[in-house]
Amino acid sequence: MGLPPFVWLILWLILSAPFVYIIGRIDVRTGSRRYLAHWLSLLCMALAWVAFGRVLTDFFGAGNSTSDVSPDFVSQATWRLGAITMRFDGLSLLLAALVLTLTTAILIYSRSYIGRSEGAEKHYALLLILCGVMIGLGSAGDLFNLWLWFEAMAIASYPLVVFYHRDRTSLEAGIKYLVQSSAGSVFILLGISLVFLSTGSLDVLEIRQAIESAPTGTPLWVIAGVLFFIGFGIKVALVPLHTWLPDAHAQAPSGISAILSAVVIEAGLIALLRALSALGGASSTWGALLIGFGVLNMILGNLIALRQKQVKRLLAFSSISQVGYMVVGIGVALYLGTTAGSQAGFFHLLSHGLMKGLAFLAVGALLFAVQHGLGEPGSEENHHSLNIEDLNGAAQRYPIIVLVFSLALLGLGGLPPLVGFMSKWQIMVAGAQANDTIILIVLLIAGLSSVLSLGYYAPLINAMYRRNQATVISQGRSVPLSMLIPLIVIGISIVILGIVPILAGWLTIPAARALMAAFGQ
Amino acid sequence: MYREFLPYLIFLTIGTPWIGAFIVWVTSDNRPRALNFLASAFSLIAAIAALLLLDQSQWTATNEVSFQLPMGPFIGDMTFVADGLGVYLAVIATVIGSLTVIFSIGYMAGSAQLSRYYALVLLFIGSMCGLVLSGNLLFLFLFWEATAFCSYALISFHNDDPKAVAAGIKALIITQLGGVGLLIGIVIAAANLPDLQVSTFLAQSGSLPSNILAVIAFSFLFAAIAKSAQVPLHVWLPDAMEAPTPVSALIHAATMVNAGVYLLARFYPSFVPVTGWTTIVITVGILSALLAAGMAIMSNDLKRVLAYSTVSQLGYMVTGVGIGAIFQSQFYLFSHSIFKALLFLGAGAIIHELGTRDMREMGNLWKRMPQVAIPFLIGAAALVGLPFFNGYWSKELLIEAAFEYNLVVFGLLVIGAGITAFYASRMCWMVFFTKPQAAFESFAPVSSPHRPHVHWSMLLAIFILAINVLFAWLTAGRFALWLRAVLPYHAPYILHGHDPATLISWATIFSISALATLSVTILAIGAWWWRVRSDRPADVSGRMSLAIRWLDFAFNRSVSGIASVTMSAAGLLQKTQTGQLNWNTVGIAMALIALLIILVGIR
Repeated sequence: MGLPPFVWLILWLILSAPFVYIIGRIDVRTGSRRYLAHWLSLLCMALAWVAFGRVLTDFFGAGNSTSDVSPDFVSQATWRLGAITMRFDGLSLLLAALVLTLTTAILIYSRSYIGRSEGAEKHYALLLILCGVMIGLGSAGDLFNLWLWFEAMAIASYPLVVFYHRDRTSLEAGIKYLVQSSAGSVFILLGISLVFLSTGSLDVLEIRQAIESAPTGTPLWVIAGVLFFIGFGIKVALVPLHTWLPDAHAQAPSGISAILSAVVIEAGLIALLRALSALGGASSTWGALLIGFGVLNMILGNLIALRQKQVKRLLAFSSISQVGYMVVGIGVALYLGTTAGSQAGFFHLLSHGLMKGLAFLAVGALLFAVQHGLGEPGSEENHHSLNIEDLNGAAQRYPIIVLVFSLALLGLGGLPPLVGFMSKWQIMVAGAQANDTIILIVLLIAGLSSVLSLGYYAPLINAMYRRNQATVISQGRSVPLSMLIPLIVIGISIVILGIVPILAGWLTIPAARALMAAFGQ
Repeated sequence: MYREFLPYLIFLTIGTPWIGAFIVWVTSDNRPRALNFLASAFSLIAAIAALLLLDQSQWTATNEVSFQLPMGPFIGDMTFVADGLGVYLAVIATVIGSLTVIFSIGYMAGSAQLSRYYALVLLFIGSMCGLVLSGNLLFLFLFWEATAFCSYALISFHNDDPKAVAAGIKALIITQLGGVGLLIGIVIAAANLPDLQVSTFLAQSGSLPSNILAVIAFSFLFAAIAKSAQVPLHVWLPDAMEAPTPVSALIHAATMVNAGVYLLARFYPSFVPVTGWTTIVITVGILSALLAAGMAIMSNDLKRVLAYSTVSQLGYMVTGVGIGAIFQSQFYLFSHSIFKALLFLGAGAIIHELGTRDMREMGNLWKRMPQVAIPFLIGAAALVGLPFFNGYWSKELLIEAAFEYNLVVFGLLVIGAGITAFYASRMCWMVFFTKPQAAFESFAPVSSPHRPHVHWSMLLAIFILAINVLFAWLTAGRFALWLRAVLPYHAPYILHGHDPATLISWATIFSISALATLSVTILAIGAWWWRVRSDRPADVSGRMSLAIRWLDFAFNRSVSGIASVTMSAAGLLQKTQTGQLNWNTVGIAMALIALLIILVGIR
């Protein structure tokens, strides 16, 4: 039996990484330093895209785009090896596409940003692994396997967060991330064991069948669901489990911040949904919980972001609030059982991935430009983080970077016609269809917090368009093309997707259908 | 003119300024002449396209779609409809827009970041046309937000000045609050109606459950109050005067602030059945008309006087919509945009020359700058409503409608006209006729004996507007005919039982309401004259003024109070982000326990 293409894709990414590392290491040891690790990782990524092309033809060849998810398709997309079940459905596709896009962008971008700094080869190899692991996480079909991928994702990302391992604050952030994630994974494991105890199965679909046929009212599954919520919720940064996120996202190298905010959070959310789908019987409860967390996230994230002075911390808190929108959209979908809400939520997942990825990359580019003035990262010397005042007047020296950064910020703030508005709009329309007063109030909160968010995005943009330049900006160096290209490409895509949102339909519609099918609706 | 041109004309009106904005944005700041030329050319093309839309062959009804493009789920069809309500606002936006662009050639000469300025102005003109021509609620909202963004960016144009930045944020947040109201209303409408088309909404709103319709109606009203700077959300407009003066003329007097009135007028037929809606609209309108006029008496900043005056005049228009006088209100809007743009541009020429906005430092400008003084006085006369400027006709027609509607409303509006005459006389007196006040004489740059040279572009724009103030009212009858012909849903509210041909007639001039208004106006001017004769100070004080001042202060305080409460709430929340791992883990444990209690404990 041949392996299905998506397994090839995952294996390729994970197995090629050690070679990137070893060859990069040899490159460093011999002192030639020809960016070998970088070129090699790009090559691996290119091949991964070829594999992804095969995955796509397989996926859409099965007729998944036109009809509803059929049982035939489910069995066809499933791959088993012993007790391991992998299943590539719409959710997996959405995550895979987002992960591959952003990882590629970050690999191109890292050439100058990471450059030849110490441990660069490690960085490239870990990025490839992280990419493969996240695709694996998206397509895990049984709970234990899901947990393994989830842990692998966490392990691959720790060293990336503490890339500047001589910097104390980075180490502190890394420790927080490590401890809190591990706490979460203990809860997940506990939840899985509870489910296994009562159903004797780990496959998500089988568990659901077992639960649906069983007499209702067993609190065991509810407890398991709560444990999943807490465990995965830590990675998704649901309030009050979010406390690790601002530190980790602000301290990591910008490319990694982009991956953490734009994909790792989303991957956690998809893992949470996958785990909950096993307990699908009580989906309206899970929907209500998601909406509740979403409201908390929007309020807290936006309010704290108002008081941030550091650009990257501001973006990190904005991620917390953006998660709120996604979760509200998907929560509404589960609560009401409509496809529209989940489609909207996934669209926001996608658009947030692009916008926040772009925002962090743009900050990274500016940071790269002015690093000289701020002091080298990773050194114990008095290097300070990028504050908003440091960006005063940046538009004159770096017009393109500042323009795309502003587009990303305005999109995050929900201004039309950018993609961030369109996704929020869809969430709102989906929510309003409920004709439910409580959901309307939630939507009102969502709208108001969008306004509140302009209270921190607008001053940031305004500062960059000032005439009086900050000294670090006027002394800044020029930014190479390799960093600009990913910025420009993502920048154009958020405008185009904002004007013609249906272009993302090939990703969001199958994902929404898969979610509804997974929850048996 | 052939009807097939219609979609192209619409696209020219909306698209040319946007394309121009892009081209201007990428043009270097070091080429001001090219920038001036490009910006004027693009805005003029849009203006010509909009004027061609006025041709009788292009008349389109509200339910006649001129352009349609399917956009998929959640959005429906993107449509543009060139009916009367939309087109004349588009004409105002593009014509006054191009005049302000031309004015800017002189006003902004030598200013830095000129390309950003012109790009934002052009973007605004395009967005405003899009807002009024859009036939899809979602796109209406998109353009609505785009105008708010341009307004913000232009208020904060001098972004090294903290006052301008703060004013910009204030305007942005308040108008966006209104935007949330609009969004909620549209979203609810979208969930309950077959599609998002404006005409569908107008046709089928009767079938909506009354509570849902009420929520939509009040959400839209909230949006309009924020956008049109009505009490109590008017506080952003006076602060917005930090913007360059041409921007104030275009955005904060002639166009964007009218969007709220437009919204109310557009959906009036649907919202009339909602209990209490019209009463609240009238109350808001009258409160704004009177309070803001009172505040205009107290202010010594020329632009702030004009800003308060705008709030007050918008109050008249809102009242007009509330009493069901759609035509009168829209005609008022039309006249007001012209004379208020003229006043702002005239003020801009003065401020440009003197370098101050404080009226106490001005004076005697009648002798020094007659070429500006005469048009400015024409504008002021229209604002006051002296016969036979355009402001006279629009005010008389609106007040006549109020007279037929309700005597209390009528009385209050007449009092408002009196206050208007009073503050306008005070403004003109302080700026043009009296000497600078002694305390400010040292600052006053009156030393230069020669007549200042006012740039030709500024004079050109001012003169064109002044001529329009003198003659634009002649179009009233045709305007009414047009609106009647193309607004099927509004037809019962447009000059019900009146003949458009008799609008401009002796009957109007000698009607009771017109005579009453005129006499109150003349009395108010006389009152100011008496104050001047009896050598009273130009600073008005007294119990009444104290009360108004206190009220204005209270409004501002409550806004900043909300802002500071938000910030301190944020500060409290920030304390929860201790950065200590122990507390973080406690948070996780607490969340777990809380969820378990909620889900398991309740069962």
